[in-house]
Amino acid sequence: MNSKYEVTIGLEVHCEVMTTSKMFSSAPNNYNETANENICEVDMGFPGILPVANMEAVKKSIMMAMALNCKLPEYMYFDRKNYYYPDLPKGYQITQSTEPVGVNGYINVYVNDEVKKIDIHDIHLEEDTASLDHYETYSLIDYNRCSVPLLETVTEPCIHSADEALAFLDSLRRIFLYTKISEARTDRGQMRCDVNISLAPVGSDKLGTKVEMKNINSFSNVKDAILYEIKRQSEILDEGGTIIMETRRYDDSTGKTYRMREKVEGVDYKYYVEPNIPPYKITDELISELKSKIPMLQFERINKYITEYDLSLYDASILTKNIETALYFEDVISKNIDPKIAANWINTRILGHVNKEEISINDCTFKTDDLVELIGYINKGTISTKQAKDVFYKCLDENKKPSVVIKENNMEQITDTNEILNVIKEVIEENMELALSYDPERGRTVDFFVGQIMKKTRGKANPKAAMDLIKEELLKLKK
Amino acid sequence: MITKEKLKDYANKLMFDMEDSEYETLLKEFDVIEKQMELVANLDGISKVKPMTFPFEMEYVEYREDNNTRTVDYKDALSNAKDVKNREIRVPKVVE
Amino acid sequence: MSYLDKTLEEISSALKNGEVTSEDLVKESIDRAKKYQEKYNSFVTITEDKALSQVKELDKISDNPLKGIPYAIKDNFSTKGILSTASSNILKDYVPFFNATVVDKLNNCGSIMIGKSVLDELAMGGTGTTGHTGTVKNPWDEKRLIGGSSAGSAAAVASGIVPFSIGSDTGDSIRKPACYGGVVGYKPTYGRISRFGLFAFASSLDHVGCFTRSVSDVAYILDALKGRDEKDMTSLPDDNISYSKNLTKDVKGKKLFYIKDIVDRENYKDSMDEELDEILKNFDGIIKNCEDLGFVVEAVDFNKELLKAIFPAYITISCAEATSNNSNLTGIIFGPRAQGKSIDEVMFNSRTQGFSELIKRRFVLGSYILQKENQERLFLNAGRVRRLIVEKMTELFKKYDGMILPASGSVAPTFKSETIDKLSDRYLLLENHMAIGNFGGFPSITIPCGLVNNMPIGLNITSGIKKDLELLNIAYAIEDTMNYKGQIAGGVKSE
Repeated sequence: MNSKYEVTIGLEVHCEVMTTSKMFSSAPNNYNETANENICEVDMGFPGILPVANMEAVKKSIMMAMALNCKLPEYMYFDRKNYYYPDLPKGYQITQSTEPVGVNGYINVYVNDEVKKIDIHDIHLEEDTASLDHYETYSLIDYNRCSVPLLETVTEPCIHSADEALAFLDSLRRIFLYTKISEARTDRGQMRCDVNISLAPVGSDKLGTKVEMKNINSFSNVKDAILYEIKRQSEILDEGGTIIMETRRYDDSTGKTYRMREKVEGVDYKYYVEPNIPPYKITDELISELKSKIPMLQFERINKYITEYDLSLYDASILTKNIETALYFEDVISKNIDPKIAANWINTRILGHVNKEEISINDCTFKTDDLVELIGYINKGTISTKQAKDVFYKCLDENKKPSVVIKENNMEQITDTNEILNVIKEVIEENMELALSYDPERGRTVDFFVGQIMKKTRGKANPKAAMDLIKEELLKLKK
Repeated sequence: MITKEKLKDYANKLMFDMEDSEYETLLKEFDVIEKQMELVANLDGISKVKPMTFPFEMEYVEYREDNNTRTVDYKDALSNAKDVKNREIRVPKVVE
Repeated sequence: MSYLDKTLEEISSALKNGEVTSEDLVKESIDRAKKYQEKYNSFVTITEDKALSQVKELDKISDNPLKGIPYAIKDNFSTKGILSTASSNILKDYVPFFNATVVDKLNNCGSIMIGKSVLDELAMGGTGTTGHTGTVKNPWDEKRLIGGSSAGSAAAVASGIVPFSIGSDTGDSIRKPACYGGVVGYKPTYGRISRFGLFAFASSLDHVGCFTRSVSDVAYILDALKGRDEKDMTSLPDDNISYSKNLTKDVKGKKLFYIKDIVDRENYKDSMDEELDEILKNFDGIIKNCEDLGFVVEAVDFNKELLKAIFPAYITISCAEATSNNSNLTGIIFGPRAQGKSIDEVMFNSRTQGFSELIKRRFVLGSYILQKENQERLFLNAGRVRRLIVEKMTELFKKYDGMILPASGSVAPTFKSETIDKLSDRYLLLENHMAIGNFGGFPSITIPCGLVNNMPIGLNITSGIKKDLELLNIAYAIEDTMNYKGQIAGGVKSE
C-alpha cells in the first residue's frame, strides 16, 4: 500500500431490523421473492395514508443505540427527508435527523490483534425504499421492501484502512446478531454499506476530497472497493491530479469503481418533523428493560475468555463469532471442563461439523452434555484422545450418546492396574530372556513389551498405564 | 434576493415547470409573504420560543404493537398504475 | 316540505315510524343533486348506483340515528371503488381500493353516500373556484362564491341536497363556507375524528369535520365518527360519552370571551362598509343574547401583532407541509401518467400537467420555506408564532368555556369582487382568526347567526381541546336564541 497518503474512511451502514410487520405499516416484514406480495396502501404512499410506527422496531433501535454506547434522546420522533426518486413512493422518507435514536457512540473492535475504537456519529431508525429491477429498456418497481425498518449506523471518519473497515463491519454485524435485532444477511441485502473515502498527504491536517461509494452489498466487496479506491486515488495524486468529489459505484465483476455522478454540494432534503407521529417518551423503565435484554457482546466476551480462561485471541474470537457458540462453550466449562480443552474441541471438531453442515450449533445433535461426558472419559483415561475423535463422529452419525458408542464398540480402556499386571506377568514369562536383558537407557525393549501387552488386550490397555507398569516390573527383575 | 431564475430552479426541483408569467405572479407573492414574515420575525422574544409541531401534547401515545400483519392484493395496489408488467409497475429505465 | 329538509333526529324518527323510506329519501336527494348540479356544481361524482344498491342492504344494519340518511363527502376522502380526485387533474382518474375511516364508519351506520363534492384543488384554497371540474356557486346567490375549500359539501347542505356532509378543515375550510352558506360547520378537537383516508394537505392542521343544519345534528355525527383509530397515531382515545344524549342548553354561569381587537371598529376605520357594520352590530346583539342566557361575556386583550401573524404563520406552515404531502403525486402508481423518455421526465411532465398554477405557486413557496437557509426564519418562526398563540389561548380556556367571534367580516363575496389587500388589518384580523382552531387543535364551530343583504353570516365559537361537548352545548344554547336552525338557502326552514 502507498504510504505517502493517509486514508480516511467513514462508513454508513444500513441494516434491516427483524420485526413481524413493517416500520410504518402492518404489512409483513419478511423476505419475499414474489414481487409486491408484502405490501399495503401505506407503503405505497396512496393519498390519505398515515404512518403508524412499530413499537418493536423502536425498541430494537434503542437497544442497538445502547449497544453502540450512544447517547439516547429524551423523546423518540421522526423527520421527513424530502426527495423524488422512483423507489420512494411518498416522495419523502420517514427517518430521523434532528434527534436520532443514538448519537456520539463508539465500539471497540479487534483489528488483527490490536484494539481500535471506532466512533459512531449517530444511529437512526428509518424506512427502507422499494427495489428497482432493471431491464434492457425499462425498470420494474417492487414495493415489498418499502417501509421495512432500517437502522443506519454512521461512523465518524475515523477509519484508516480496509482492514479496520472490515473489522468494524464484522463487529457491527455480530452485534446485530447477538442482540437479535437483525438477521444482517448480506446475501439478501439486509446489510448494505456506503463508503466515504479520502486521501491526504501524511501529516496533513486537512482531509482530502471525499469520494462516496454507495450500496456495496458484501463485506469482501467493501474491502476490494476500498483497496481499489486507495490505489486509484493515490495514482491520481502521485501524478499531481485532483480528486473529484463524486459518487462512484463498485462493480464486483471487474473489481473497479465507476463514476456515477458528480456530488452536488449539499443536496437540500428539507428535513422537518414528521407531523403524523407524536413523540414517544423514552422512559427510564424502558431503558432498563431493554438494557437487560442486551447480552454480553463479542468484544467483551473475547476479553473475558482471554483474561479469565487464558485462551488465545484467535480461539476466543472464533468461540465468540456468534452467541450460540459462546453460550455452548460457557455451558461446557461451567461443568468443570478445562476451558482450553473445551475451546479446542469446539473450535476444531464441533464447529468443523456445524460449518460443514451449515447448521447452527444449537441444531447440532452433539449437545454440551455430550461434550462434557466425552472429555470426562478422556480425563479418566477410559478412552484415548484418538478414540474420542472416533466416538465423536460415531455419536454424530448414529445420533447416540458417547457412553453408548463406547460401550457398543467395546472401546473402554483397561486401566485397572491388577488386570494389566496379570497380562504383564504373562508377557514377561513368555519373553524372560529379553526381560532380563532390559536396559533402562534403551527404549526398544519397553516398546516391544508394550506392543505385546496391547496385542494381548486387543488394544484396550491404557498405553500410558501399560508403559509405566512394564518399566516398573522390568526394573524389579533387575534387582 | 429572489429571482425568477431561482424560482424556476425551485419549481424544477419539485418536478414541475411553470409559465413565465406564472413566475412573475409568484415573485409578487413571495414579496407579500416575506413582508408578513418580517413582522413575525420582529415579534418580541420570538427567538426564545420553541417551535410547535403538534397542535398539543398527546399524552396518550400508543405505538403499534408488532403482532399482526395485513396485506393488500397486488391487483388492487396496481389497479391505478398505467403500466404494469407481471406483478410490478413498469417505468422507463431508471439510470442510477 | 320534504323530510330531507328536516333535522337528523326528525328524519330518523320518520324513517323508524315508516313515514318515509330511506329509498325515497335517497332518490330525492339524488334528484336534487342532479337538478342543482348545473347551477351550483357541488359534485365531482354523484354516486347514484352505489347509493341505490346500498339502500337495499340496510336491513343488515342495526338501528342508529344515521341509518338510511343520505350524505355528501368531500372528494379528498378515499372512497373504495369511487373516483376520488381532490378536484385536481393530477388525480382525475384515481379510484382508490380502500376507504377512509370516516367512510367506513358511515357505511357501518348505514348512511348513504350520494356524491363526492367539489373542493378547491387539493383543499388548498378558500374560494371553491379552483377545482378541476369548475367553480362551486353559492345557493343563496349564484353570483357569489360559497368559500372553500369544502365548497361542494357546504353547498350541498345549504341547498338542501343532503341533511349533512363531510368536509375537511385546515385553516377554516369548513367553518368559512358554512358561514357563507348559512349552515352549521364544525371541526372537532384534533384527533377526535380519524384522518386516515383524508388526502393530506397540512397534516398538523388538518381536521375532519361536518356540515349540518343544526347543532344537535353535529352531535349525532360526532357520536358516529369519533374514536381512536389504529391507522391514525394522532387520533384520540374514545371519550366514551354520547354527545347527542348529553347535549344541554343549561349554560348558566359559563364564561365566554371575545378578542377585543378583532371586533374593534377602530381597527377598520379605513375599510368600514355597511356589511361590516351590520356584522359587528349583529355580534353585539349576540353578546347581549348570550348574557341573557346566563353567560358571562368578557372582552379580552390579545397582542395585535400576534393576531396579525396568524395568516403568515398559517400560510408558511400549511404550504410547507403541503409541498411534502403532495410529493406522492407523480403519475407512477396512480393518477394520469404523462409521456416521457426517462423516469424523471415522466414525473416532471405528470406534475407539470397535473397541477394548476395556484397549486404550483404554493408548492414553490412551501419548498422555499423548508429550505435549509430559510427554515429558521420562515418555517420555525411560524412554528413559534403558533406556540405563542396556542399557549395564550390555552391560558384563556382555563378561565373561559369558549371564545365567540364573527366567522367573517363580510358575506360571501361575489366572483367579481376585488381580492382583499392581504396586508390590511381587516384581512389579517377578521378573515383569518379561525386558523387559531387549527393551530391548537381546538374544537370550533360556525353557526348561522343572521342575514346581511339577504346573505347569511356566521358566528364562530371555539373551546379548549377535548371540550367538544362544552362547545356544542354553548352553540346549542346560542342557536336557540335565533331563528336560523334548519335554514336552507333562500330562507326555507324546517320549522
